Amino acid sequence: MNLLAVSNLTKRYRRGGKTIAAVDDVSFHIDPGETLALAGPSGSGKSTIARLVLRLIEPDDGRIEFESDDFLALSGAALRARRARLQMVFQDPLAAFNPRATVARVLDDPLRIHGIASRAERPRRIAALLERVGLTANLAPRAIHEISGGQRQRVAIARAIVTKPSLIVLDEAVSALDVSVRGEILELLLDLQRQEKIAYLFISHDLGVIRSVAHRVILLDAGRIAENGDAQTVIGAPQSAIGKALVAAAPRLNRAGP
Amino acid sequence: MTTLASIRDLTVTYRRDGNEVTALKGVSLDIAAGERLAIIGESGSGKSTLALAIAGLLPASAKVGGRIDWFLSSSGAKAPPSVLPDISPARGEITLSPLPSPITNVAEGERSAKLLISPLAGEMSGRTEGGVTECQPFKSELNKIPRLGRDIGFVFQDPSASLDPVMTIGKQIAEVARTHLSLTWSQSYARAKSLLERVRLPDLDSALRAFPHQLSGGQKQRVAIAAAIAAGPKLLIADEATSALDTIVQAEIVALIRRLVTEDGMTLLFISHDIALAAELAERIAVFRHGQLVELGMRAQIVGAPAQPYTRALLDAHIGLDTRPLLNRARLHA
Repeated sequence: MNLLAVSNLTKRYRRGGKTIAAVDDVSFHIDPGETLALAGPSGSGKSTIARLVLRLIEPDDGRIEFESDDFLALSGAALRARRARLQMVFQDPLAAFNPRATVARVLDDPLRIHGIASRAERPRRIAALLERVGLTANLAPRAIHEISGGQRQRVAIARAIVTKPSLIVLDEAVSALDVSVRGEILELLLDLQRQEKIAYLFISHDLGVIRSVAHRVILLDAGRIAENGDAQTVIGAPQSAIGKALVAAAPRLNRAGP
Repeated sequence: MTTLASIRDLTVTYRRDGNEVTALKGVSLDIAAGERLAIIGESGSGKSTLALAIAGLLPASAKVGGRIDWFLSSSGAKAPPSVLPDISPARGEITLSPLPSPITNVAEGERSAKLLISPLAGEMSGRTEGGVTECQPFKSELNKIPRLGRDIGFVFQDPSASLDPVMTIGKQIAEVARTHLSLTWSQSYARAKSLLERVRLPDLDSALRAFPHQLSGGQKQRVAIAAAIAAGPKLLIADEATSALDTIVQAEIVALIRRLVTEDGMTLLFISHDIALAAELAERIAVFRHGQLVELGMRAQIVGAPAQPYTRALLDAHIGLDTRPLLNRARLHA
């Protein structure tokens, strides 16, 4: 059974009197515990798909089934409850958090709002969450703007897993991180996936990273699916024009020598 | 090899929230005329501070020690290798100091002899304490000092922030040519048009009249590059100039920079966090960390046989199309 099934998804924008399909008749599915990557150049529709799946925007056409329900038909309390199962981590966690909040506050909010833990229990839960994402509990009183970019992205991941999601949308979640930190965050995501069977919709412009962590990949071009399949196979030998262009453009580190 | 700029014991300190933050610590580095030199490092490495210091763009509040000597001969980067800095017709020197007038020009002297024996490649910044060189300020001859726009072109990461949103593309480029080359407006516009052609913008006449918001991110960066080279600078500094662009556009802009630098005999300083990208473009790579120069060498040496553990760690952390996937490793552990 698919965790997420998207069919014929379409989103049009009007720009300068013309109608442009940012997402044009896109269908795909994600299984539990699977990573599906979306790649493509700027304007190919990958972030619009992420926003549609999260219902941050509504599609013009198409269907989204999430955990066997018609996700687009949900509203009110039912939508809020189901949204707890569908989380997100963006490129810049500083923009996603209240910058004046502390780490503890960022994690306390979902625990309180979703009624996951009582007031007395919450500090212990926050400490456990921080440890789960490789941070120490003494980070809790620190302000979000004080901690490093890598720590902040770990806090964003901790917040995303508070509600025990089955799917996390990762929109360029490691793109702004230093390379030394990027690998650690990817390892953390893979570890969480193995332990909790979380599926990822992994949006990235970086084919190297996608090839490293994704099971399958969809290559998008101008809102349409140009190519899809096993990530290592597609990136290893792209068939579509956009796939070939993306692979050719990826910087290569030819480490010859000893 | 002719030296374009010689950086000695450069130290830059910012004041932030009442604390002193040292962004660069005793950096010594020679930039060879006509070379493509990449400065790579992670956040906080000081790579952008170095670019700003070279361009003379540091904020007034920054505390600066050390010196940058310039060797701007009239033939510039195209000078034959036999032209040594001490006999080149013009030597400019910028003494970086908190003094109000930092631009100075010194007479020939023992300084140039010292520079000639300093090794170019593989040089490390060892001195972090003491070594700030004091220099007596002389009356400046401004035409021999590098001027941003005329002698140095600077391309920033975000072209939307560096282009004026309410001025046409043509005027922004023409203005640079007019300011630095003493051309008339019509000559400047003609030059702007040929520059837009060189950076391969389509539909030149409407591009000249376009405003930045009418262009894509990649096109805006092409315009920013055209403006940066409009006065024919000897040194082009690109500070994360492709980082905000998607992979395909990034590759196009890198190819464009390579072509322009080669055609004009410019020196390129390419600042990037991406070691693979830097290795594709640069002949030499300088690795920075925590405000210090960790390692400097030819591309093949840095990538193939790094001497420093940090350089090796950076290379190992790169996730490329030939790296063993984390997923496969995870499967083995599972």
